[in-house]
Amino acid sequence: MAGKLFVRRRDGRIEVRLNELGRSVVREAFHDVVAAEHDPNHLWHASLTAPIDPSLDQDNPVSMLTRQNETSTNAELATLTVDEQFLNSNEAWAWLTTLQVALRSTAQSRGLLDQEQLEKGDPQVLEYVRTLQQLLFALADCL
Amino acid sequence: MKPLRTTSTDSEVDTAETVRTAKSWNVIVWDDPVTPMSVVVVIFRKVFGYSNNKCTQLMLSVHHDGRALVWSGARDRAESYCVKLQVCGLQSTIEQDQ
Repeated sequence: MAGKLFVRRRDGRIEVRLNELGRSVVREAFHDVVAAEHDPNHLWHASLTAPIDPSLDQDNPVSMLTRQNETSTNAELATLTVDEQFLNSNEAWAWLTTLQVALRSTAQSRGLLDQEQLEKGDPQVLEYVRTLQQLLFALADCL
Repeated sequence: MKPLRTTSTDSEVDTAETVRTAKSWNVIVWDDPVTPMSVVVVIFRKVFGYSNNKCTQLMLSVHHDGRALVWSGARDRAESYCVKLQVCGLQSTIEQDQ
């Protein structure tokens, strides 16, 4: 993925300059976040249900539902727009948050919780992590 | 017919409760080894509306100290901010001020 991956246009839209390989990585990440929200057995589900107030046995159900709804809404909007050439601000924000959720869920589910573990990680997983980081870095630069 | 003692006790209880509920709640963001720094800054700006400088300072606190207090106040708002940060993919919790 060389060159600029995302470019902010004068009209405020974000142009997506990903090749088909880049799109497929993004599509898979969005799909996994949607799946993890609905499937308690998904590898990423635990990171989507992290404690809000760790001093409680169970968090406020309203807050948990809000988190689930907002995460799903972002992931579904990102999925719907994955083939678009231009994104508006809301769509670009949905992409950023869903990619970030995918990145952190990958790290948490693979035990990549500090720099030392990151350096010893599976090369294939690390390549995926680096790709998501590159996408996020480029997208954050436009927002 | 000696209500004074009761009144006096109620007053003490009320005072103690007032002190307890007045403690604020802190929103904490925790460090992780994968999230790009610029993403943390963008998320803080969007969620809290802080200046770029303040967002950068908070991000650096997270990075160097392992955690940072990013907002403090009423419990319901702290919980709401924590949820927004988690929806954005950051590791966040709330805790009562000590």
